[in-house]
Amino acid sequence: MKILVTAKRVPDPETTIKVNADGTGIEEAGIKWVVNPFDEIAIEEALRIKEAQGEAEVVIVSVGSADCQEQLRTGLAMGADRAILVSADNPDPTAVSRILEKIVEQESPDLVIMGKQAIDDDSNEVGQMLAQRLGWPQATFISELELAGGGGSATCVREIDGGLETLSFPLPAVITADLRLNEPRYASLPGIMKARKKPMEEIDASSLGIELGRSVTIVSVQPPPERAAGRVVESVDELIAALQGEAKVL
Amino acid sequence: MDFHFNEEQLMFRDSVRALLERDCTADVLRELWAGESGRSDGLWSGLAELGLTGLLLAEEHGGLGMAEVDLVLALEESGRACLPEPLVETVLAAAPLLETLAAGGGTPASVADKWLPLVAAGEARLAIEHPANPCVADAHVAELLLLLADDGSLHAVARAQVELTRQPCNDAARRLFTVDWKPGDDSLLAKAAGATRLLDAAFDRAAFGCAAQQLGIGQKLIDLAVDYAGQREQFGRAIGSFQAVKHHLATAQVAVEFARPVVYRAACSLATGHTDAGLHVSQAKAMADEAALLAARTSLQVHGGIGYTWEVDLHAWMKRAWALEMTWGGSAWHRGRLADAVLADIDNKPREGQLQLQGVN
Repeated sequence: MKILVTAKRVPDPETTIKVNADGTGIEEAGIKWVVNPFDEIAIEEALRIKEAQGEAEVVIVSVGSADCQEQLRTGLAMGADRAILVSADNPDPTAVSRILEKIVEQESPDLVIMGKQAIDDDSNEVGQMLAQRLGWPQATFISELELAGGGGSATCVREIDGGLETLSFPLPAVITADLRLNEPRYASLPGIMKARKKPMEEIDASSLGIELGRSVTIVSVQPPPERAAGRVVESVDELIAALQGEAKVL
Repeated sequence: MDFHFNEEQLMFRDSVRALLERDCTADVLRELWAGESGRSDGLWSGLAELGLTGLLLAEEHGGLGMAEVDLVLALEESGRACLPEPLVETVLAAAPLLETLAAGGGTPASVADKWLPLVAAGEARLAIEHPANPCVADAHVAELLLLLADDGSLHAVARAQVELTRQPCNDAARRLFTVDWKPGDDSLLAKAAGATRLLDAAFDRAAFGCAAQQLGIGQKLIDLAVDYAGQREQFGRAIGSFQAVKHHLATAQVAVEFARPVVYRAACSLATGHTDAGLHVSQAKAMADEAALLAARTSLQVHGGIGYTWEVDLHAWMKRAWALEMTWGGSAWHRGRLADAVLADIDNKPREGQLQLQGVN
């Protein structure tokens, strides 16, 4: 069985983000970059399938600048078998889905597992677009995954408003991971040392013969409005009145 | 020469930091203090899974055959998290000593073959008695204790064969014991003459480990104070904006920054077997101790009255800094060791061949 997983390079969620001077993005200087946390969950799930099946190969792919090698090394150190870096200059979700479609055609995986969204732009689009392009079944926001039929089909549990939804579908398929699917492992020192020797293929996106132009333009990026200072109330009655009349939460 | 840590060493540091930020929080520390053992098997096995407990051990014992340079950043993180586990005693002092002894074959080899793979796998902790320390740390959770007999010989004794008496310590996480036991021929690892050299080497490795932890402790104490100084307001401004506060914090930060490369140098000297490795360790221990103590004093001062309370986390790191300063040689002893070497060089006399460890503290 072959599993393709994604690893997007995103700012560390612990990093304080500032909007850049011209208001078109974020100030990148001094930021620590990590694997998108939802992609880490996807990698962990792929590794668990591999450990359960014994024979599976986990291929990790990242689309972006050469700096994405750092995130691919992290995935390899966690236990992925090899990595693919697709060089592309600031691709939008549509372009990434086109690129991944080509990678899937080359690799022919049985399963694609991705994070449900990246924490930088929160687009939540690539998984769905990739499944549509491939004509494969998709299961998004999954919190449980079970393979059946010798890896020929899968059953997923999705968290939906007010409950859980269970889906069953044949493979190959595209799955996007939600927060509660698993808890990712940390890269061990033996894993880190092995990762150095694992293969990492580099592909120039322009060689894939696809349209890479952005389908959307970021017009502006603005920080959230600053929260107003709190105030100390004199009594419980005043607090209740404020919660009812001003905050309107009671 | 490139003195930067490589990508793998930094990635390993990040893994250890992430694990400790998740599993060794201030709340977890408080739970452990209240527990009988004060230790967490889950935390210890988590560190072992990352490769920390077997990092210095040879592959034949289940280890990774790596060096102190690969370990130093993880040790710093363990201080930053105020990790209560016996990392220094097990990983730096006892296990490498046992491995060195095993090269000679006989009883030490069979002891090492049995216990070191368990240490690497996170299934055993070790405790070690040393003339530098009046008590044996973490003897209550160590499956095997390396103990000194009255004649100076070194013995390996299972915990079930000893009687432990807990001794008080200002650090609630630190568990210290005196040990009653009887040496026997079957427990003998090395006679006094052979044991001394090994104990000296263990002393240097452990003192280095404490120094690295003190860096992390000092940094955490400064971070806590900076965070507090940014929130606490007086005269309508955050107290961190006042020079009387921020200059003190900057001074503490400078002390930590100046100690850091000295500790890294000690790691390199131990890893390469430098002839002056012991002196480099003493430089590191003295500077890191003093930086951590300054950070503790400054952090407490910045916090003011609330810094004295049990509810504020500050005291966990502060008391650890105090405790480690008194462990494996205090900063005064290490400065004395350096002074002796410097004066011997000036007088063109041979340096002392062995550590004079009686009364180290």
